[in-house]
Amino acid sequence: MTRLFLVDDHQLFLAGVKTELEGRADIVGVAADVDEAISSIRRTRPEVVLIDVHMPGGGGLAVLGAVTETNPEIKFLALSVSDAAEDVIAMIRAGARGYVTKTISADDLAEAIDRVKAGDAVFSPRLAGFVLDAFAGGLPAPADEELDQLTPREREVLRLIARGFAYKQVATRLSLSVKTVESHVSAVLRKLQLSSRHELARWATDRRIV
Amino acid sequence: MTSPDSRARNDWARRLGLFRRRQRRGIAGVAGGLADRFGVNDGYVRAAFVTTATIWGIGVLIYAALWQLTFDIEDDRPVRTIDSRQRLGLGVAFAAAVWIVAGAGLVPNAFGTLVVATISFGLAALWDRSDSPSLARVILPGSRGALSVFRLVGGLILVFAGLGLLFSSVGAVSEIGFSLLAVAVTIAGLFLAFGPWMVRLAQDLGRERRERVRQEERAEVAAHLHDSVLQTLTLIQRSEDPRKMASLARSQERELRTWLYGRAPVPGEDLLSTALEAAVARVEDERHVAIDFVLVGDATLDERGRALVGAANEAMINAAQHSGAGRISVYLEVDQEGAELWVTDQGKGFAKARVPSDRRGLADSITGRMVRHGGTAAIESEPGEGTEVHLTMPGIKQAGVAS
Repeated sequence: MTRLFLVDDHQLFLAGVKTELEGRADIVGVAADVDEAISSIRRTRPEVVLIDVHMPGGGGLAVLGAVTETNPEIKFLALSVSDAAEDVIAMIRAGARGYVTKTISADDLAEAIDRVKAGDAVFSPRLAGFVLDAFAGGLPAPADEELDQLTPREREVLRLIARGFAYKQVATRLSLSVKTVESHVSAVLRKLQLSSRHELARWATDRRIV
Repeated sequence: MTSPDSRARNDWARRLGLFRRRQRRGIAGVAGGLADRFGVNDGYVRAAFVTTATIWGIGVLIYAALWQLTFDIEDDRPVRTIDSRQRLGLGVAFAAAVWIVAGAGLVPNAFGTLVVATISFGLAALWDRSDSPSLARVILPGSRGALSVFRLVGGLILVFAGLGLLFSSVGAVSEIGFSLLAVAVTIAGLFLAFGPWMVRLAQDLGRERRERVRQEERAEVAAHLHDSVLQTLTLIQRSEDPRKMASLARSQERELRTWLYGRAPVPGEDLLSTALEAAVARVEDERHVAIDFVLVGDATLDERGRALVGAANEAMINAAQHSGAGRISVYLEVDQEGAELWVTDQGKGFAKARVPSDRRGLADSITGRMVRHGGTAAIESEPGEGTEVHLTMPGIKQAGVAS
């Protein structure tokens, strides 16, 4: 079982997730604010941190930044209910391995956590749509060919995720292995984190993903 | 602050309740601290210091001594007031002391002291803002008036008496010079008397305007929350059917999201996304399903776009009615070539060969609508594998593209 740490400033939601994930993940700690989260995560050293994007005192971004500095091996999965796209993109560019919405089912959440633990990326349909939108083709000479464009295969994978398919279904439809789908999504995540496309920031400010 | 000496000094000052103000202070906060200690307006304390300063600089010496002997402290500490009778007593005692010292000829310049005392206490009375937040309150009848009016009139009399005294002491000027001086003294007196009030009036007006704007905003938010969120919460509490509850909550969530994060609609520009979003909302509300709507690109709404939305609407209703799935995905992508739209459910699906005749009709209505406008529709389904309706509409005009 994945050693999991939960960070959310809504106690009710925290309690709900804890109950739902009982038996599917080993919850080593919870925290409701930024400072508490940073010190407890450093102490308990979980494998995955499920973190709310919006919290008082700097939000998930502050926790992510502080923890990654001292414990780069800890992986983050962002979770949110109603945040502007720019915050979500900021989390991902700061190193979060993925993003899911709070409406996600318990099964899907458990699967997403395991996937993040294994080093893969997790995209919600909206995030996939956002990436497709932000990396839309036909733009004048991107600065870095490799980082600023999606391959046709990656585009196909993202489109299927945006249409609501799970990785396994995506794999079946494209006659790929699940492992290959995962590696495509991870490659897209890397591009999303490293791309210098100025459109990313702009898109993020006028769109919402969730 | 940490040396034993200063700690002892602080103890001494603390026992007497003496301290210096950190904020709203003139020089070192000594006068302000004393004023807070005794619950009088700091203007009078400053006037007392200024007056005694004219007598061998006693006021300056006392000020310097208190500066050294007391510690400074943040504001907002409880003021230890004394009651009005004690305050009056203090004032009378001070006046008597000045009077006796000056009258007994012990003072180097008794006249100067008198003039300074009159003017400074007059100004202190005029500027005393402890219970007159604005000029209007003082002048308008019915406001908390008597004391303020008394202070206003008394202050004016003192200031002008003082200026008059000062003026009368100026000897040997010509008649023209004399009247010019009189005018100057009057103007100076009026400025001293009403200047602070003018400034405060302007500040109050600005503050009131800001406050009004804030209140209007708050009222708007409250009205919106009342009309939407509170109503929905009431409906949810009265509803027995969990599906209906979920659907109410979801439609309220959608509405609140649009209100909080939505882009303002551009007048005169109907977008494909807006029309589709409305259709999604309608199906969610009427059929009690959750629809995940993902959008890539957008287009201005034309005949073809309307046909696409109509067909998508049919597909969504179809999925809601027959698939048994609680969640439907709608994905729209618009690029230079046109629009593509998928309506996907993970429900029970069906075998194409055994579609009941009424559903074939529905499929025809989706396909027919698309074909009539130059598009295509493909329906894919396997029993147990869910259903996917794939619509394409070439030649739709792209809108809002990053270029």
